[in-house]
This record gives sequence, structure tokens and C-alpha cells, in this order.
Amino acid sequence: MDNPTGVLSREQKKKIIPYLLIAPVVIYYILFWLLPVVRAISGSFMSAPADEGGVFTFGNYTALFKDPVFYQALFNTAFIVLISVTLEFVLAFGLALLINMKFHGSGMFLFLALIPMSLPAVAVGAMWTSGLSTYGWLNSFLIRIGILNAADKIIFLGGGHFAKMFLIIIVDAWQVIPSVMVILLSGMQALQPEMMEAGYVFGGSRFKVLRKITIPLLKPTITTAMILRIIAAIQIWLIIVMLFGYNRLPVLLEQIVLNVDKYTGSEAFFRKGMALSVVVSLIVSCVSFLYLKVSGAFDEPAGKGV
Amino acid sequence: MPVLELKDIAKQYNKRVWGVQGMSLDVEDKEFIVFLGPSGCGKTTCMRMIAGLEETTRGSIILQGKDITDLPPRDRGISMVFQNYAIWPHMTVYDNIAFALKLKKLPSSEIKSRVEEVADMVKIGTMLSRFPGQMSGGQQQRVALARALAVRPKLFLMDEPLSNLDAKLRVIMRTELKAIHQRTEATSIFVTHDQSEAMSMADRIVIMKDGEIVQVGTPEDVYFRSADIFVAGFIGTPPTNFFYVDVKKENGCTILDHEFFKAELGKEDSDRLSGYEEIVLGVRPEDFILNKEGNGILKSQVLVVEPQGAHQVVALEVEGNIIKTLVPSDHSLRPGDNISFDFDMRHLHFFDKQTEKRIS
Repeated sequence: MDNPTGVLSREQKKKIIPYLLIAPVVIYYILFWLLPVVRAISGSFMSAPADEGGVFTFGNYTALFKDPVFYQALFNTAFIVLISVTLEFVLAFGLALLINMKFHGSGMFLFLALIPMSLPAVAVGAMWTSGLSTYGWLNSFLIRIGILNAADKIIFLGGGHFAKMFLIIIVDAWQVIPSVMVILLSGMQALQPEMMEAGYVFGGSRFKVLRKITIPLLKPTITTAMILRIIAAIQIWLIIVMLFGYNRLPVLLEQIVLNVDKYTGSEAFFRKGMALSVVVSLIVSCVSFLYLKVSGAFDEPAGKGV
Repeated sequence: MPVLELKDIAKQYNKRVWGVQGMSLDVEDKEFIVFLGPSGCGKTTCMRMIAGLEETTRGSIILQGKDITDLPPRDRGISMVFQNYAIWPHMTVYDNIAFALKLKKLPSSEIKSRVEEVADMVKIGTMLSRFPGQMSGGQQQRVALARALAVRPKLFLMDEPLSNLDAKLRVIMRTELKAIHQRTEATSIFVTHDQSEAMSMADRIVIMKDGEIVQVGTPEDVYFRSADIFVAGFIGTPPTNFFYVDVKKENGCTILDHEFFKAELGKEDSDRLSGYEEIVLGVRPEDFILNKEGNGILKSQVLVVEPQGAHQVVALEVEGNIIKTLVPSDHSLRPGDNISFDFDMRHLHFFDKQTEKRIS
């Protein structure tokens, strides 16, 4: 045979090389992604670890679905996602449009607007906890500038259920609007300015051009920004715990942490937490899929663009 | 009355750089005007000021007797073809063309007939339901044209619309554009840096340099009566050849004296040059007439021959400068051959050495 290496023909080598090149990534994903996922799913159907005599059970799930706190958490999460994503998107879009106008000092404005993005969630939590407490800096500030009487300090953190949620939405928006804005801004800057100019020349007002040209052309960017925000909003928890503590405003992820991490020593809570994490993953996947479906991201593209 | 009047319009950037300075121009009804100039001369800026996409720093723009200087683009009654087409990829061809008509709230039957009319005019009548991404560059260009024609504008602006097309298609579109203009009679301004495009399409050419108008005239004007050395060197391929010559009197005749040649002028030219001692002589490549006897005004050697089909471009080296001449193809010439030319004395260009302006 005409085979100098004696092992593989040149054709076979060519076929193998691509697999060798992606092998590290595949191994990484199996070890650090697929394995934990499989273990979490299988673990959620076990009463205890297999080597400690655990058996297959739906008990974790029935316990979860019987727990009224789960439904509260589900509702709170859905409410926060719906309101905060909408609010953040509208504000971020407006800010991006503003900065994209490239007025004098817009660079400085962009820099200032990005500051909240650079802070870790814990720092944001600490900042707002100290700000929103009754003797916090927000009350002091309002009193100092004369808007508020020293006797009428606002008890920000002591509001009712919906007041709490709105407070969370505002704090969350404060932190994530910059990141949404940056994504939208980069999309806007990638558009050819002539697209909008043509709109103005052919009779469009600012609003018409925005609605008929800018927004449709930005659709891929908007889809990306929204999907990232929706996923992140479903996973909100740390800021809530920092402002109110556990179990005051139950949301899905906070309940996972609570069950898995805080109720230590109890196998049943741990298993319920595992079940909940599987449920949350399913919810995130379904919501993302639905959003992409509705926004037309799976549709055949109309053409290769201009 | 002119359709468009530009009155001393100027554009300043960042309160320092002048993109366009003091430009005045009257455009007559149904005229096809071409703004021609090298890149950075302000021709596109000027067009964008007329369209309202660029603020006018000074001066006024008057369209059909109405001052439009500070109106937003949509209220000007102007349409435009952009260099990169700028047709909207998320709309079908039909919706692209109908965009302006829908905003004007025309009845849908009227919109349909207008869209079909202009689409047929630019030969995309069968593609109305396509998206731009499914079309070639040339077809997209036609969509941009149709969109601009559909609004029946008072003024039709085109910003280097052919520069993104390949050479062959560009020449075809040139002819089609001219035919469309003759049919629609829309007053048009066309921006280009390609002088042959300008020559072949324009009723009048506006030649610009460094934000100022250098010459306004018909293609014949700018070619045969170039206003200065810049215009003479910019218009025509190959461009005009220049020689620094002394003006002398010998035996009652006026002589142009150059290190390599002497040319005797007729009565009329002699009068034009009275009072000048040194001038710049401009000779177009086709105004060199091959002297077969070898005793013409200018004697030199062939440097390079560039065959062009019907004629050939013959380059000579005179005093370290490359001189390009046009010679009919039936003379076979090789590099190094001795060659002799007469000048076509009717078409010589004389320029003032200091001001570089034409001496007339």
C-alpha cells in the first residue's frame, strides 16, 4: 500500500484534525457543563445521594409544587421581569439615542452613564442598603436640599409587597440600564447614517424615521439585548436579599439559595432546591425560546442585507 | 426665474474649517447640473446643505422662490440618491419606493400606479416584491433611483450614484440616467469626481476646488475655455500639458519661446498676450499634430506608447516632464523613435503665470 506513515492515509488525517482541534472545548463542556446539569437533574429525582441509600422519587417536586412560597416566588419573579425589562429597555433606548446624537460632551455623559455597570451587585446592594435605610444617605440628602422635613423621613424598605417590588425594580434598573444601553448604542453606531438620512429626505419626521427605519434595522441588536436582560432578570436575587433579607420578597433564585445553602443539614430542603433549580432552568429556556420565536429570530432572513 | 438659487452659502466645521465657502449659483428649470471636483472639494457638503442634511452656516438656499435654508429635509420637496444607495433592507422594493408616498398619505391606487410607473422606468418592474438583499448592486441602485423619482421632486439630487458600480455598468447607467432626465425633465444636481461622467451628462458643470467654485459652464466651456490651470488639468483624459514659456517679439511676430521649441502666434493671440512676458501654455493631447516630415514645432523621442484602439496615447519626456499626446493608430511608433509635432494653433490655452487664470 502507498502509505508512508503506515497508520493513517492523508485523507483520514484531514478528517481527524478538525475533531482534534475542537476536542478540548468538547471535554471542557462535558466536565463543567453537561456533567453538573445531568447530576442536578438526576439529583432532583433522588431522595438522597445514591450511596447513602437514596431512591428514585418525585417527592422533591411534589414538595416544591405544594409549597405556597414557590407560587409567590414565581409571581414576584414574573412581575419583576415584566416591569423591569420593559422599563430598562425604554430608558436604555432613550439614553442610547441621546448619546448617539453626539452632542458636545456626549462622550463624558457616556462615561458617567456607564459607572453603575462597573459596580458588582454586592456593592450596589450595600450602597442602596445604606442609602435606603431610614437614617440612610438618601433621606439625609432629601432633608439637606430641603425637599423633606426631618420629621417625615421616608421608610423606603418598610413598604408593602408591591412597594418592595418597585424598589427592587428601580435599583435593578439603575444598575443594568448602562449595559442594555451599550448594546443598543453599539447597534445604532453600526447602522449606516444614510439609512436614516434617506428617511428624513423622503418625508419622515424624527418619530417616523425612528419607528419605520431605526428600530426595524436595530431588531437583531434589540433581540440580543432583550434576551440577555430577560435571562438576567429571571435570575435576580442578591440585591433582594441584601435589601430585605431572605424570605421577605421571595423570588425563584433566592429560594434556590435559601433551600440549598441556608437550610443546611436538611436533605429534604436541599433536594427541593435542586428540583427548583431544574424548574428555573426550564423556565429560562422556555421564555428565551418563546421570545426568540415571537421576535422572528428563527425566521428565514429576508436577504443578505445591503 | 431660476428654480434653485444658492446665495453665498458656506459651511464651517467645528468653528474652524470651512468645508464650503461662499458659493453662489443659479440653477435653471429642467437643467442637469454636475458638481465636479476632487475629493474634499466640498461638492458633497454643498449637496447635503441643499438637501437639509447639513446645516448651512451662512447664506441662503432658495427653491422656487421660497427660502428653504432652515427647513427640515422633509419639507423641502427634494429627493436624493445616495452614494451607497441607502435603500432599506427590511422593506420590499415596493415599500422602499412607496415610503415617501405613504407618508404623504396619497390614496393607495395612486401610490400603486406611481410605484409601477417609476419601477418600469428603471426596469425593475418585475422585482417589486423582492427584498434589497436579494438584488445585485446595480439593481439596488435602480431601486434608489425609482424611490427618488416616485416623489416627483422639485429638485433631484444625486451624490456620486454611479461610483459603486463596475466600469461597464457605470457607462450603461450614465446613458439611462440621461434618458430618464430627458423624459422626466426633473431639475437635477449630480455630484461626481469623474470628469468624463460630468462631461457626458451635464448641461452645465460646476467645477469646485477647496470649497469654492472655480468655473461654471457647459462641457464645451470648461473644456475649450478652461478658466484656469486647475480646470485645464482636471478636465480631459489625458489632461492638458503645460509649458512655461517666454513671450517674445521677433520680426514683428509674437513668439512663444521654450527651451525645446519656438511657436509663432497669429494676430489674434498676439494681441491677447500683449503685455505678458512669461505665461503658461496649455496644449491638449489631441492638439498635438504629428508632423511626418520631422520638422514640426516640438521635436522629441517617444517614451511610452499606450494603444487605445482608434488612437494611441504617446508619452514624451520634455524637460523632465511627461507630455501626453493623442496620435491616430495608423502610425506605428515604438519607444525611442524620433517624433515631431505641430500645435493646433486654434486651441492653445494661455494662463497667467502668477494668478494661474486664463488670459482672454
